[in-house]
Amino acid sequence: MQEPAKTLDIRGLTKTFMLPGGRSVVAVSDFSLRIEPGEFVTFLGPSGCGKTTVLRMLAGLERADAGEILVDGRSIQSLPPHRRRVGMVFQNYALFPHMSVYENVAYSLRVRRYPDERVRSDVPTALKAVGLETMAGRLPGQLSGGQQQRVALARALVMQPDLLLFDEPLSNLDAKLRVQVRGELRRLQRRLGTTSIYVTHDQDEAMGLSDRIVVMNSGRVEQVGTPEEIYARPASLFAADFVGQVNALPGRVVARADSHVTVETLDHLICVPNQSCPTNDVLVLVRPEAVRLTVTHGGGPAGVVEELEYRGDRVEYRVRVGVTLVIAVEASLQRGRRIVTGDRVGLEFVEQAVHLLPAQAGGTAVPEDIVPGKAQAALISSI
Amino acid sequence: MGPGVARPGRGWVLACAYPIVALLVAAFVAYPLANLLARAVIVEGRVSGETLARLIGDAHIRQVVWSTVWLGATVAVLGTALATLYAYAMTRVALPWKRVWHFVALLPTISPPILMALSLILLYGRRGLITHEVLGLQTTALYGFRGLVVAQLLSYFPFAYLLLLNLFRGLDASLEEAASTMGAHPGKVLTTVILPLLVPGLGGAALLLFGYSLADLGNPLLLGGDFQVLSSQIYQTIIGMYDVPKGAALAVILLMPALLLFFAHKQLAAKTGFASVGGRGTMHHPQLSHPMARAAALLLLAGVSLVIVLQYATVLAGATTKLFGIDNTITLRYFAAAVTDSRDALIDTIGLALAASAVTAVVGVLASYYVARTRLVGRNVLDFAANLPLAIPGTVIGLAFALAFNHRPLLLTGTALIIVMAFAMRSLPYSIRSGVVTLNQLHRSLDEASTSMGATSGQTLMRVLLPLLRPALVASMIFTFTRSVTTLSAVIFVVSPHWSLVTPAILSQMDRGDVGEAAALSIIVVVLVLAVIHGVPRLLGRDWRAQA
Repeated sequence: MQEPAKTLDIRGLTKTFMLPGGRSVVAVSDFSLRIEPGEFVTFLGPSGCGKTTVLRMLAGLERADAGEILVDGRSIQSLPPHRRRVGMVFQNYALFPHMSVYENVAYSLRVRRYPDERVRSDVPTALKAVGLETMAGRLPGQLSGGQQQRVALARALVMQPDLLLFDEPLSNLDAKLRVQVRGELRRLQRRLGTTSIYVTHDQDEAMGLSDRIVVMNSGRVEQVGTPEEIYARPASLFAADFVGQVNALPGRVVARADSHVTVETLDHLICVPNQSCPTNDVLVLVRPEAVRLTVTHGGGPAGVVEELEYRGDRVEYRVRVGVTLVIAVEASLQRGRRIVTGDRVGLEFVEQAVHLLPAQAGGTAVPEDIVPGKAQAALISSI
Repeated sequence: MGPGVARPGRGWVLACAYPIVALLVAAFVAYPLANLLARAVIVEGRVSGETLARLIGDAHIRQVVWSTVWLGATVAVLGTALATLYAYAMTRVALPWKRVWHFVALLPTISPPILMALSLILLYGRRGLITHEVLGLQTTALYGFRGLVVAQLLSYFPFAYLLLLNLFRGLDASLEEAASTMGAHPGKVLTTVILPLLVPGLGGAALLLFGYSLADLGNPLLLGGDFQVLSSQIYQTIIGMYDVPKGAALAVILLMPALLLFFAHKQLAAKTGFASVGGRGTMHHPQLSHPMARAAALLLLAGVSLVIVLQYATVLAGATTKLFGIDNTITLRYFAAAVTDSRDALIDTIGLALAASAVTAVVGVLASYYVARTRLVGRNVLDFAANLPLAIPGTVIGLAFALAFNHRPLLLTGTALIIVMAFAMRSLPYSIRSGVVTLNQLHRSLDEASTSMGATSGQTLMRVLLPLLRPALVASMIFTFTRSVTTLSAVIFVVSPHWSLVTPAILSQMDRGDVGEAAALSIIVVVLVLAVIHGVPRLLGRDWRAQA
């Protein structure tokens, strides 16, 4: 009796919070997005970027100042939360401590006055789906964090919601459990096919779970795309930086051909596949794993290894090329001749992995202490 | 053992203070109660249930006990319901002027309880403004059960409201949000999530009200009429008939239901307390904006506030007119009379209440430290004993003090000390509770960090914990002051010609028929307490009520 998955259309959602003292802060500004039936979409961004506010507006827990929310073409904007059929998994799970696991899961069915037979059949099914059928009689306080998380999930699933919303549901779990539950969550969502939105500031979670990622910054959509698109072809330095480390090197297009663009960066010319970059002043984005270090100098840029970090599966190098620090990552197993700190090395970029951004696109402010690649950002602005 | 390693037993200053604190609690809680009990059950040198049995055999006394319990239960149920609605409207409905409703509701908590009786008499008494002048009635309907219920509801529901307000605010908002996303409308959220989680708090509020009703002396004396309750019966037995053994036995009878409730509440709290699960949620609660709900809530808040304001306005009018309702010429002579006639009472009251605040603060901090942070032998007994006054009606404490300290070894009758300690011991439980709660919220790693850097436990308490305890400490000091200035029942038996107090003065003015002066003095007390409550936290930038 599973209903077909629903489409979600968000149009121009805007929300301003009034602060004490008469000041106001724009939490979400003109947010639009269309989510296809059964899709799993992640809102990714630093804290305060408005991702949770959008989620809460979808659930009806915040009232939007402007915009529209349509589920299968019907506006749910005017409905209070309890009429919306939106299942939400809260960051702290929000399990009712005075009810057993069973009663927690049965809650939505009971308050909607479903017949007892329905409760008796659906609750065990939901508990089974999350592997907690033997825990039905326990109180939430008697469960581990991971189990509580699953109860929260079962509780959201049992009501067969039009939309499933997750507000950083894994942030209270330890790292190993997080990866495990993440996998289970994804498989379950695929099986049930419920249209889902997941809010997180963890790039790994976003990459691992999503059909599409919405990168958000200061209440606005920075980029929407598949994990691969965002990682390989970020629309802004902010997006690039948020999903992983990146070298952002100032450069200049010197020649454009049909298939290739020639760019001058680090005082050398490199050839990259043609891409629609409108300006000549560019940022050359290169992921650290696309930088190869060579001991014999070719014609490319060269520098001195200033720092080296062994990370087990990989080794990370910081190479100084003039005033610029370039980060390079090598898989440990593929390490050729041992490079040590102080070595002079040549740099080669994997051409297909180089992405160009108009230089202005780098102007987006990157919050200092949140983004892993802040050294690069700071460097760009210093040049 | 290196210099940086914390060793037990280095806090000798604190260890030495422990017996002193224990001795204080023993001397001023355990001893007077034991003494009182002894008077009731020891007849001519041997243990005997004779006095108690004779009392219980007395049909009149049985009627009085029944009236006491019936009044207490009525006030507890109605007051809890009213307080719950008031707190719900304040925390869960989008309404204007919440600060006003809050302020008005709290006025009775800082007023002498006689004030409510006074204004009710002025408004609805035999010659009351509303009953006699406006409606032309010649009625005594105010006197008795109904009048007492109204007076006690107005006087004491605000305490329950305060308790519940903090609980309503403290509930994890995401629980209510979760319930609403699962399809529960606001009413359903209230009945299935909020109220079940607040059961211990609702029970606590009901017991609090029951306790206040049991302890109330002013209203029964002024409004009781033929409806006698234990506290007024004790007062008349001691003051009117000088029958001390009978008074003591009655006090013991009054103590029984009070203690029963105390243990019942402990049980209730232990059974139904839910540890919060998961991480902490938000405290930003959804606000009901449905027009009907808002209208109903506003009606409730405004209605209750209006009734309360009317009481105060009446007292103010009584204090500033020649003969309220009959000769409405404005006059300040009652204020002048109050300030001159009761100057000593005012000064003594303030001085002794300040002293009591200091005692409560010091003993409270030390006791809560011993309870929350040490494993000293007997700390649980100390905790229990120090918390006992919570359960004991003021009349009983006052009487127990008056009797126990009327002879050696602790002959304190007529001294300031007996009053200060009666004040202090009554508020000590609150001070200890807030201290323990605050300390439990401070991680022990703070102590460990401090001791690992070479501080003794005394230094840790003084330099690390005390600054963090300060808000709670200030709150409990203000609380002690307020309670001490406004109490009647606890001090009626211990006042002396040397040390006179305001509330007994108001009572005797009422007895003499000096209504204007009694009203003026009541107003002075309210203003004084308001000044302290709003002045002190303003200096420190904090609302004490959030802590108390």
